[in-house]
Amino acid sequence: MVSFILRRILVSVLVLIAASFVMYTLTAYSAHPLDDLLSSSALNKEKLIQARIQALQLDVPPPLRWFLWLGGAAKCLIPLANACNLGKTISNANVTDILPMAMQSTIQLVTGALVLAVVLGLALGIITALRQYSGLDNAVTFTSFFLYSLPSFLIAVLLKEFIAIGFNNFLVSPTIPMGIVIAIGIVLGLVVQSVVGGDMRRRLVVGGVTTVLSVTVLYAISLTGWLLKPGLGPVFILLLSVGIAVGATALIAGLRNRRALITGMITVVVALGSYFTLQGLFDMASVGTLVILAIVAVLVGLLVGYLMGGYDRGQSMRVGAITAALSGGLVLLDRFMQSWPTYVSEVNGRPIATVGYQTPNLGGDVWVSGIDSFTHFALPTLALLLISFASYTRYARAGMLEVMGQDYVRTARAKGLPERTVVVRHAFRNMLIPITTLLAFDVGALLGGAIITESIFGIPGMGQLFFAGLGRGDLNPVMGYFIVIAAMAILFNFLADLAYAALDPRVRVR
Amino acid sequence: MTITGRLARKAIAVVAIGAAAALALAGCTTSGTPTPTAASGGTVTVASVNDFTSFNYNTPQGNLDTNGVVNYLTTGGFFTVDPSYKVIYDTSFGKIEKTSDSPLTVKYTLQKGLKWSDGEPITSDDMLLAWALASGHYDSGTVDADGKVTKGTNYFSIAGSTAGLDATSLPTLGTDGLTMTLTYSTPYVDYMLVSPIAQPAHVVATKAGLKSAADLTALLLKLPKGDPASPAAADPTLQKAAEFVNTGYDVTAMPTDASLLVSSGPMTVSAFVPTQSLTLVPNKFYTGDHKAKLDKIVLRNIPDANAQVAALANGEVDVINPQASADTLAALKKTTATVSTGSTVSYDHLDLSFNATVFKDAKVREAFLKTIPRQQILDSIVTPVDAQSKVLDSQQFVPQQSSYADSVKNNGSSAYDKVDIDGAKALLAGATPEIKLMYNTKNPNRVDEFQAIQASASKAGFKIVDAGSPDWSKKLGDGTYDAVLFGWVSPGYGYAGVPQIWSTNGGGNYNKYTGTDKLAISTQTELDSSKINAILAKMDAQAFSDAYGLPLFQLPGILGASARVQNVKFMGNQTGPVWNFWEWTVTGK
Repeated sequence: MVSFILRRILVSVLVLIAASFVMYTLTAYSAHPLDDLLSSSALNKEKLIQARIQALQLDVPPPLRWFLWLGGAAKCLIPLANACNLGKTISNANVTDILPMAMQSTIQLVTGALVLAVVLGLALGIITALRQYSGLDNAVTFTSFFLYSLPSFLIAVLLKEFIAIGFNNFLVSPTIPMGIVIAIGIVLGLVVQSVVGGDMRRRLVVGGVTTVLSVTVLYAISLTGWLLKPGLGPVFILLLSVGIAVGATALIAGLRNRRALITGMITVVVALGSYFTLQGLFDMASVGTLVILAIVAVLVGLLVGYLMGGYDRGQSMRVGAITAALSGGLVLLDRFMQSWPTYVSEVNGRPIATVGYQTPNLGGDVWVSGIDSFTHFALPTLALLLISFASYTRYARAGMLEVMGQDYVRTARAKGLPERTVVVRHAFRNMLIPITTLLAFDVGALLGGAIITESIFGIPGMGQLFFAGLGRGDLNPVMGYFIVIAAMAILFNFLADLAYAALDPRVRVR
Repeated sequence: MTITGRLARKAIAVVAIGAAAALALAGCTTSGTPTPTAASGGTVTVASVNDFTSFNYNTPQGNLDTNGVVNYLTTGGFFTVDPSYKVIYDTSFGKIEKTSDSPLTVKYTLQKGLKWSDGEPITSDDMLLAWALASGHYDSGTVDADGKVTKGTNYFSIAGSTAGLDATSLPTLGTDGLTMTLTYSTPYVDYMLVSPIAQPAHVVATKAGLKSAADLTALLLKLPKGDPASPAAADPTLQKAAEFVNTGYDVTAMPTDASLLVSSGPMTVSAFVPTQSLTLVPNKFYTGDHKAKLDKIVLRNIPDANAQVAALANGEVDVINPQASADTLAALKKTTATVSTGSTVSYDHLDLSFNATVFKDAKVREAFLKTIPRQQILDSIVTPVDAQSKVLDSQQFVPQQSSYADSVKNNGSSAYDKVDIDGAKALLAGATPEIKLMYNTKNPNRVDEFQAIQASASKAGFKIVDAGSPDWSKKLGDGTYDAVLFGWVSPGYGYAGVPQIWSTNGGGNYNKYTGTDKLAISTQTELDSSKINAILAKMDAQAFSDAYGLPLFQLPGILGASARVQNVKFMGNQTGPVWNFWEWTVTGK
């Protein structure tokens, strides 16, 4: 294992160095860093050109200049020396200063989109595989291919027009017309009955109940102006948390496992208790507080599961952790909702943003700034999500169908295992192997920056850094970008190799 | 029921442990609830394309548009410029007087009681430092072609030219600390456009290890003029000061050192989030005429033109000045914003190389220019954005300037108003000259221009060879092409740049044109502006009669302003819409 890792690292470093040389010389020969000065009519043009030549060492031919650059970059490998030198931009900023900022915005942008795409993609893929050729399957297939084929700039512009500008206009007097309420209800009813499946009577009941329920909820939202003053309150937190506990138990342990179910319920009680006790702490919370609370919540869930014990402790613990995390999330969501009216008035009643990652000079506590991040990242995340989740649904569906048709799954069914166990325990894991490969490539590609999405939403991430640098003939930021992306691509492919071994016992890492 | 009992006990224990742990851990990370600040005067948010990189606009690396806007808002000065490029003197800051013609002597007097934003007075010490920066008086360095200093010392590196001020001797300072007198050894045309105010002398002095601005002044008055022939040893204190001014103002985050923010202008920077926004608030020590009526001006980074329009429609920004295109204009017109268009100071032009064999014959030049479809080019590139735009008819003036109309009447440009294929054929008398026409292939406007010219000139018998190149800027003046399409940026005011293009040895005279050499050089020592305009009109006519080339059009500009902001007006130069920020008011909040 150790020798495998060391060999991989050594080879990667060599590849990185060689690639950086190619990248550096190609970019340097194609770049025009003096363009703006050469065509200027400034009186001291010569002097300005000379100053830039000096600042960027343009008098050294590119292949040799690469050695100068490499000398600075090599210092980054010395731990704690803080001698990292990736050169300067044309406007005299250290690349080592601007690179972390660009990485931070890209990671903020990409993480949410990636996690959501994987979770949603997998869930939809599995559901459509289990309900193959149903109305839902066809609808999801159609929608995902439709979204996949849309160019990202178009999605971005549509989102801005309808979700941002349109929604903000709607918020001025947020009443939903009755026709739309009913239409949404019917669509939801159709979707849910298709997911649940079963005979005609069961479908009718499920679909009907869903429609009536969602129409009622939407009508209530419209009538009470809930969108302006949202909140869940203890009653809804309790109801939703119980739903989460039951759902988690059904998925992980099966509802017959009483200990797991009781674990879930105890966790719900703890969450509800924390709703009442923690409001004071929330008012003065910082990000650190919330992180600690989240960790504590998961630990409490695990602990409850552990204490409940039973012959399969692990199941109870997982149910406890998931219920704790999600119901804790509901408590936080409720607190965020309490700050929503403050935020909306701070931004002149137009909460959903189209550009940038924060409102200038907002100030405010962690809740208001949290909402601010949400309203700024909502659209770009959605844009990336809509495009990238299609491929996950496809891979997940195909993988699941293939696995479900294999002999060992038939054997598992034949020996009388419940369908839940067959799907979650036997099939799911094997389905993940091809997804891992996809994920490894996707992380690399997404970190490389979604240039178009970044530029349309004004998020100054890695893509922008690269694009702007290339446009100006500014070599050093381009190389900074290259180093990060190349390192990430290598790292994630390496992690994928390790993940194969973890998922599939037949694969051995040597 | 023993199991349930044990479960209950365990559950209670879990609740207790969980709650205690959560409270104990989380308690350490809390922060106080901030009190929200109430806004009263109003905030205007202006979209900017590029990020802010430096508090010093006047270095070669800091000379970028957004830095320029911040510099405009935070620097007091003796004058500003209006949209017709008329210089307007700001007597609330100080006054400029010519006290003698021979030698040219100019006296600068600061208004009494001016203060920097840290409360220190603005004095002649600051003016002397600004002069030292701009004049290059102390530089003794000799540089090679790559810009390496081979001998001597160069102190301050500046974006502007030292031309003009390099002819001044050491200034004399008044005893009241408010006046400075400059004496020029040769007359300098733009003497009224020197505004000696830059970085605060007291801050620069501290950074150089001196006690006060007066110490820096004493040093500057004591040091000898730099002599490249026999350079004196470098002065370490001035070197330290120069190093600070040259690079110390470059930032990638809000500086922790408040002295970088010290402003002499109406506004001062209060917050900077790199790549996102920069916030300016009124300078409470500012007493001049350009006091803002607003609480805040925020510059927000939005590189994409369509994103700017969407942000304006969504109320995230109030003023945008995006790169002009018909699509952007159409999108902008759909919003509730006030839209205005106008012409910028950038203009495209066609130049003929006078050292190219094909153009040795004036008749060929004239014939070629007669085939240029200027109106068609304007209609396809500019008219969709700015319907009022007209073909540019002068090489020396832009239509916003008052002298444009007079010059156009007499400069002979009317000969090229319409495409005249027959006239061109007659001049060519059957010849079919080949012309290598260079342009920037990366600029779609230039590609359109090239295609229009190629189609039109071929009709008269010219063979137009496509010499377009992405490397065009490196090739300027190297003789590999016969004609070139590219753009200049007219300063709009001031005359110091005239010889750059129009004298035989000017650095921007890529065409080896000699027809206006003497006239161009004579403008530099002329102190009467009406006479200068007459000389320029003469040069204008000369260039047309020599068939020098043709100006094509001014690039259009778009300005969109939210209906809640009043008095936002179009400005065609680099300052952009903030040029009259002190007149802006906000209705509503």
